[in-house]
Amino acid sequence: MPGLYTGGAVSMEQLTNLVISDRDLTIISSVLMRLMNDTNATSIMLIDKSGQVVAVQGSSTRRNATTLGALLAGVFSSSREVAKLLDEKDFRNIFQQGLQQNIYTSMVEEQWLLVIIFDRSTHIGLVKVLSKKASDELGRILERVRNDTTRAKSSVLNLQFRSSVEDTIDLLFRD
Amino acid sequence: MALINIASHEIHCKIVYYGIGYCGKTTNLQYVHKSITPNARGDMLSIATETERTLFFDFLPLDLGTVHGFRTRFHLYTVPGQILYERTRLAVLNGADGIVFVVDSQAEKFEENVQSIAELDMHMRRIGKDMNTFPIILQWNKRDMPNVLPVPVLERYLNRRRVPSFEAVASAGKGVFATLRAISKSVIAQL
Repeated sequence: MPGLYTGGAVSMEQLTNLVISDRDLTIISSVLMRLMNDTNATSIMLIDKSGQVVAVQGSSTRRNATTLGALLAGVFSSSREVAKLLDEKDFRNIFQQGLQQNIYTSMVEEQWLLVIIFDRSTHIGLVKVLSKKASDELGRILERVRNDTTRAKSSVLNLQFRSSVEDTIDLLFRD
Repeated sequence: MALINIASHEIHCKIVYYGIGYCGKTTNLQYVHKSITPNARGDMLSIATETERTLFFDFLPLDLGTVHGFRTRFHLYTVPGQILYERTRLAVLNGADGIVFVVDSQAEKFEENVQSIAELDMHMRRIGKDMNTFPIILQWNKRDMPNVLPVPVLERYLNRRRVPSFEAVASAGKGVFATLRAISKSVIAQL
């Protein structure tokens, strides 16, 4: 598929692919790491709205990252539908408060979600302010990643790769 | 949205099982989870009501292992089938790379199937996906029931785009992996 977008309604256009290079991930990870240190958060995730995990910082969530990504994106999608029913464009942030752990999720450039998991030692105000700053920075980085995607993709998804994946599918997806 | 992470050598794709209530979407995932080699599957997650109807989605991550240096993963989701949950279906559909439309082959479910596929068409248009090129597979499920419509009839009215289709009895595992193989290959071909 040549373009990043497949056309259609402007407001809800979706990405077809996102290719993250070594360099991109290093930059993204350093932003997340700084945010984690500055807020004293337990862990931080950057996920796509569809639930795919782009980057994770913090050992406690790494093990469950895939499932957390699916669930947190689900929570966000659900709240977006609630917003529509209330004639609100979006809820851009979601705060989930637990006895020990809290989660603050905010939208980055309409396409990604920045998730900060923190405990009682961190104040929500600090999380809100610093996540806003980090979101702006991540937004700029991700915009560039998005524009680089088509070029970077061809180097990975060659014919050899595709046929090997097909063989693996035949091998694993059977009774 | 397929995520190709060159840095961590991972590729993630999202496949959504769509269809009416009780058509067998969750049953497809449960069979895959039960039958696939354990090191290729993650934990299956279900957000269901007390009566085990899907409330939000089921989620099953599959791991193909490392192929040409890249760890390739498919994330399987189901939508809730009940008519009431249209907005939830749209939320789960977000970022899908491929769709399996599961059809309940029973004659009395025909109208509901037609409405559901029309709803899917509408959602796909709204999120800017072209159904003529988007990876989609049809599954004619519940072929073991006494009152099923003949496959040619289902093909004629429900498969206007002539996408690949498979007969299935998901509860017994028949056709489940054939469907999964087809949609996975179709997604990889479109990456």
